Amino acid sequence: MAASIRIDNLTKQYRGTKVASLKNLTLQVEPGEVYGFLGPNGAGKSTTIRTLMNFIQPTSGSAQILGRDIVTDSVAIRRSVGYLSSDMAMYPKMTAHQFLRYMSELQERSDTKYQAELIRRLNGDASKKLGDLSRGNRQKFAIVQAFMHKPDVLILDEPSSGLDPLMQEVFYDLVNEAKSRGAAIFMSSHILSEVQKICDRVGIIRDGELIAERNIADMERDAAHTFEVTFADKTPVKELERLRGVKVTSHDEHHATVHAQGELPPILAVLAKHTVVQLEARQLDLEELFMQFYSNEGQQ
Amino acid sequence: MRSIVRWTLWQRRWSIFWWSIGITSLVFFTMVFYPTIRDQAAELNKSLSLGSGTEALFGGTDFFSPLGYLNSQLIYFSLPMLLAILAIGLGTSLIGREESSGSIESLLSRPVSRGRLLASKALAGTITVFIVTLISSLVTLLMCAVVDLGIPYGNIVAACFACLMLVLSFGALAFMITSTGRGRAAALGITIVYAFGGYLIGSLTNSVEWLKHPAILFPYHYYRTADILAGKFEWSSIAFFALFILACGLIAWLSFRRRDIV
Repeated sequence: MAASIRIDNLTKQYRGTKVASLKNLTLQVEPGEVYGFLGPNGAGKSTTIRTLMNFIQPTSGSAQILGRDIVTDSVAIRRSVGYLSSDMAMYPKMTAHQFLRYMSELQERSDTKYQAELIRRLNGDASKKLGDLSRGNRQKFAIVQAFMHKPDVLILDEPSSGLDPLMQEVFYDLVNEAKSRGAAIFMSSHILSEVQKICDRVGIIRDGELIAERNIADMERDAAHTFEVTFADKTPVKELERLRGVKVTSHDEHHATVHAQGELPPILAVLAKHTVVQLEARQLDLEELFMQFYSNEGQQ
Repeated sequence: MRSIVRWTLWQRRWSIFWWSIGITSLVFFTMVFYPTIRDQAAELNKSLSLGSGTEALFGGTDFFSPLGYLNSQLIYFSLPMLLAILAIGLGTSLIGREESSGSIESLLSRPVSRGRLLASKALAGTITVFIVTLISSLVTLLMCAVVDLGIPYGNIVAACFACLMLVLSFGALAFMITSTGRGRAAALGITIVYAFGGYLIGSLTNSVEWLKHPAILFPYHYYRTADILAGKFEWSSIAFFALFILACGLIAWLSFRRRDIV
């Protein structure tokens, strides 16, 4: 199956700047996949998203959405794309209802029943003027306008910012529903727990370069085979390291972090020979991965 | 395209209303006093001889004959200047405000080409200026009938049409500058200098010989309302305005279609 979003060596350098904001970015998002795009402010996340939406022009490289070029076919692409930014500027003097009607008219392919359902689920009051709404309440309607036409691709720039925890859950449900009907979702976020919860894959961008891509399921599997072990007596480092596929990633006198690949019985047999005070299977911690990549920055 | 035009006009409905009220009041109060002046027109013209230079600033006619009064007090200066403020304001804000507020992203994230967006906004602006000019023209015609000015209505309509084309030229220039990505303040400043500078240069060409050459670059040079009110309508002037507006539109489109929206 062809990728819903395909980016090849995309580079963007703004006029008058010496450094490119985006350097040879290459990635793909498959249909039915949620791709989390991580990076601190200024890393190039929004530049990538704005280039995909054709708000800004790439300096070199190319990208396709649903097989169409983002520059030459941008109008056709936007029939099947939902876009949302963190603090989307809407028209403050319009009511939310008027704004959604305006956007629906422009979208050509809108489902009014689904739109009403989205408003109900997000608990929005569409009769109020957008300028009178709080940021979180405005964000609800920004979500509605992005999802209302059931797009095949969703491009979301920090989509849940401003939402309260209950509404964040509703938003995650909407993302999962879009995913299950085969939509590809490309989202940037600062909230790592959110990315961990809803994304299938993450890409980490630093200074405009994609420095890592990880599959969340693989990371969870790896994390599940990492154990924090506390011994009553001295840590049996050599004994553990003799085992095939076992690596002691850190240790001190009574404690070891052990990563095991493959079968677990051999390691359990070694542990059984010693007095284990505590044994914990490690949880996936995306923050750790994120910090790991960003802490390298100082060393480079 | 229809949606953007409709919603833009809806957003500007109160602006259209208040501008219409304002300009209608100007026309009404300018014309309502003419009957008191008319009886003394000949004497006033004799006693208030301002010289050709000053007269040129008000359309090159006397101030108190029916044609001179309508031209100098309304059609040559006040009406186009007020309508120019409206048109320039629209020109700087139709795309400029959407861009500075960020709401342009909502529009461009829909299947709307940049050319279509630009054309829709330009059409909405043109309709706004047309509505206000039409109301002003109708009130002018009505007041001319009430005070029995004796100028053929066709000539007044033609002068108002020339006024519409003139102010649309200024609006088009402001629209072009904002569409190329210059700020709204820059567009406002440049257009005001061009409009008012053109007015001064165009008005002074009879007194200052060498100004005749640069004057041809400014729309005001082609705005000869005294001639139009006297029945000498020149389509070549209208053609200049139309070409100027089209050129601005073309430059706006060429620049806007591929530039970064930042």
